[in-house]
Amino acid sequence: MRIEAALLAAALALTGGASVARSTAATGSGGLFNGVEAGLILDGGYASKGLALGGRERGFALGHTEASIGGNIDDKFTGRATAVAHQHDGSIEVELEEAWFETLTLPAGLSVRAGRFLSQIGYLNEQHMHADDFAQRPLFYRAFLGSHYFDDGVRLNWVVPTPFLLRAGVEVLSGKPLTATPLHDKTVGAVAFSLRTGADIGRSQSWQAGFSYVRNRLEADPLADGHDHDHGHGDDGHDHDHAHGAQFGGKHIWIADAMWKWAPGGNNFARQLRLGGEVIRVTEPNRFATRDDDHFGWYLSAVYRFQPQWEVGVRHGQIRAAEPHGDHFHTVRLRESEVMLAWKPSHFSALRLQWTKQRNLAGFGDAGSAVMLQYVMSLGAHGAHSF
Amino acid sequence: MARILSDPAALFRLLAALLLVLAPLPAAALTIFACEPEWAALTKVLLPDARITSATHAGQDPHHIEARPALISALRRADLAVCTGASLEAGWFPMLQQRAANARVQTGQPGLFIASHAVLLDDIPAVVDRSHGDVHAEGNPHFHLDPERMLAVARDLADRIGGLQPARAAEVRQRLLDWEKHWEAQMAHWQALAKPLDGRAIVAQHGGFLYLFRWLGLRQIADLEPRPGLPPTVSHLQSILASVRAGQPIGIVQGRYQDPRAGRWLADRTGLPLLVLPSTVTDDGDTATLDGWMTHLVEALVAVTR
Repeated sequence: MRIEAALLAAALALTGGASVARSTAATGSGGLFNGVEAGLILDGGYASKGLALGGRERGFALGHTEASIGGNIDDKFTGRATAVAHQHDGSIEVELEEAWFETLTLPAGLSVRAGRFLSQIGYLNEQHMHADDFAQRPLFYRAFLGSHYFDDGVRLNWVVPTPFLLRAGVEVLSGKPLTATPLHDKTVGAVAFSLRTGADIGRSQSWQAGFSYVRNRLEADPLADGHDHDHGHGDDGHDHDHAHGAQFGGKHIWIADAMWKWAPGGNNFARQLRLGGEVIRVTEPNRFATRDDDHFGWYLSAVYRFQPQWEVGVRHGQIRAAEPHGDHFHTVRLRESEVMLAWKPSHFSALRLQWTKQRNLAGFGDAGSAVMLQYVMSLGAHGAHSF
Repeated sequence: MARILSDPAALFRLLAALLLVLAPLPAAALTIFACEPEWAALTKVLLPDARITSATHAGQDPHHIEARPALISALRRADLAVCTGASLEAGWFPMLQQRAANARVQTGQPGLFIASHAVLLDDIPAVVDRSHGDVHAEGNPHFHLDPERMLAVARDLADRIGGLQPARAAEVRQRLLDWEKHWEAQMAHWQALAKPLDGRAIVAQHGGFLYLFRWLGLRQIADLEPRPGLPPTVSHLQSILASVRAGQPIGIVQGRYQDPRAGRWLADRTGLPLLVLPSTVTDDGDTATLDGWMTHLVEALVAVTR
């Protein structure tokens, strides 16, 4: 923690220094010519209420405030470190979300990344949260992946030289964030496989689809679980769980995702429609689980940029989870719908108004509705966004 | 199958066929990824048989391109990427480089050609501060509209291609010399044609056409954008209205990807002609080549002075 705080401070200092010493190009990140780049993302806002599995604290709170440094190390390696500060239960927590290096010159479309990084499972997970279209991650990300799953390990990717995108990847990870209280310790706690494909359809449309599977090798301790055995779940709060770990884990995780974007004539700056969705299934929460004791979740989202600076969006999703209670499970269900309006005056700033309505279908007594106001501001270099 | 394995001749043919499939393609066919259509067109002049993909087209704002799957796969297969540089592609090209995992086109490799390295840029800001809008520290990156700088880029690009394919360096050099001769003749023609523009004023959106305006002796007296890269607003247009009227410009110029409502608003109030021009070569028609595109721009500008 102390080291991470120091890193954040160093990053902040560098960000300030860099903007004076190095005239940072204003378009976004550099990278085409420049060496080290430093950037800072300010995220925060106001929420009228804390929500079940909430991604935002009640009242005024800081969100995902990031300081990031990255760049090419030499002709063979590139690297990046990102420290994140956010509010959790009223106090500020600092953690190192990324600290990795990656190869640049392996042959045949191969690349290796090692260190701490965002796993490339699902559509949203490998993207930084500040690029999201909504003020919090979809329900199943918060419930099953700790909002965003980053871990220590090694990744090998192969981009196949096909006329459309085809990327196959495998990640060998510690697995610790996926299981709050493992029975045993293993050096390799998770192995993640992912396939990603996509292409354009004519000039105005493009799409992407992915499939991921994670084998979680750390078995959850059924007795160490924080849930009461008096069946008083629901409004007992899920606060035993740390925001960074998965709330509901399991041995096998499957995710399928798809994204389709439409921009008239390919001019996405002027107008763009983005339709996307993901579905997840997590099985074998612990050794007592039967075939029926699994977790399931999905969401669909639609975002429309109707003017260069304005976007509206809707998202709807649901989860069903098997909450362990000793040797048996209780099914909990939650539904969430949200509407948002975002104003993005420039490439570097965004203000968002969001209304989220949750519906408790079973076991989520803390479900509610909230109005959220969010800002996302970017200073200095700012890594280019992915599709 | 068993017959093939027992027949050495058939086996040999099978292996030869496999080798043909797997062997790297002969030097004749380079695969080129051009960030913008003007570089695709220029590369085509030097290497007519190359497989060239342009990442963007005249209907798109080159500052705001998404790192789409189709672009990742195109860059993955490229032997050479030809881009503007000067941070024009900073919002998307680095992501493509990372996602494509193609060692040939990484920064510093001979397979990445940055056109802005061949020229000196205008309008290098004294202060780079984002409150001034989307200003590029390196200077105005839209230099492909300057025929002189286009020559300088062509020379460097020919050298680079020659370096990548030494066996074809001589033929590329010859094509460069032929093109230079033709382009220089065209430059004289365009400047003669543009005599009526010399010293005249013009209004435009963004600094996209500034290099051409200067080369033709035009002065851009107002910008439809309140700050570089920010969309025009009515309050800004109102604030420039008086100076536009007083400056007696020949017209208002917008690029094809820019929202024409701002130009129309100003045109309606000033009675000035609105010119929507392609800011780069197009896929088809008369403006599909560098030559035809530049001729179209000059002729369109001259036409409004008549």
